Amino acid sequence: MAKITFFIHQLPQLLFVQYWSWWAAGLGIGLTALGLAWFTGRKLGVTGGFEDACSVVTGGKGGFKTSPSHWKLIFIVGLLFGGALANAGHWGWTWTYGELDGIVLDSLVLKALWLIASGFLIGFGARWAGGCTSGNSIMGISIGSKMSILATLAFLTAGILITNILFKLF
Amino acid sequence: MATRKKAPQKKVRKTVRKAVKTGGNNMKAQGPLAFLFGILFGFFLSKARATDYDTVVNMFRFRDFQLYGVIAVAIAVVALGLFLLKKKSIPTLSRQPLDWEPLEFEPSRLIGALIFGAGWALSGTCPGTSITQIGEGKLIAIFTVIGIFLGVWAYHKYQPVSESQDDVC
Repeated sequence: MAKITFFIHQLPQLLFVQYWSWWAAGLGIGLTALGLAWFTGRKLGVTGGFEDACSVVTGGKGGFKTSPSHWKLIFIVGLLFGGALANAGHWGWTWTYGELDGIVLDSLVLKALWLIASGFLIGFGARWAGGCTSGNSIMGISIGSKMSILATLAFLTAGILITNILFKLF
Repeated sequence: MATRKKAPQKKVRKTVRKAVKTGGNNMKAQGPLAFLFGILFGFFLSKARATDYDTVVNMFRFRDFQLYGVIAVAIAVVALGLFLLKKKSIPTLSRQPLDWEPLEFEPSRLIGALIFGAGWALSGTCPGTSITQIGEGKLIAIFTVIGIFLGVWAYHKYQPVSESQDDVC
């Protein structure tokens, strides 16, 4: 009984403040992807949401690959609220960004440019690779796509190389 | 007053039930369901610490194995779930089949994957987590999102791969 009351008291902390262990968060992500598949028959993919956004901006021109009724765009708008909800207990805005602050010498302008440039690589690369971490690494591997397994290995190879070079330099 | 309040409640309940039942086939239900799952996905990404620059970078530096665990568990859950749904031939709520084609093999895609990996490492975030970061209040991620947007746009201008199948992430 004491355990249950303790748990109930901890619940707001657990839901709106704390980080979760790898297995709990992984379970949540997996069940969300699975739920999306079972409820709507759709395959999770975040990059497609950006594709939808491009298409909305051009008014449907430009040959962007849109999802049916732009569900992916709506999905990525939901991500905003999910991030806020997970931190609702201690929400606050900040311009800091972990260890990157030191690398860009605490310059906000440099950091913005850095992130725009690396964001460009993410968007360009994800589309070329046929998906990002969600589409290729989670969904692609789950359905046994060989291309997705190779793509994920390439993601990690490049990531490991670049990060270690970067932190050797700085 | 009480009776007045009940009517819209009933309507909402009816809409929700219909949305759940018809899922992907009902275009009206598609939006709310996508939004709901978006919130859940963002929530769990945040709980996983996947939205934290240091955690992502330390994953690549083999100092923090949290995210390897998260990805592995997520893949295992989805793979097992899809396998069971297929084996027991459980239909989806939307009655849409779950027979997604694997991504077509195309060696040049690996170049794209390497570019993505570089971007992932430099920004410490991927497309999903960048948007979640903004929701968390890490406002600098706005620039990452702008960058991703420009990258997707540029891909269409200089499309290096001719695409035959339409189901891409």
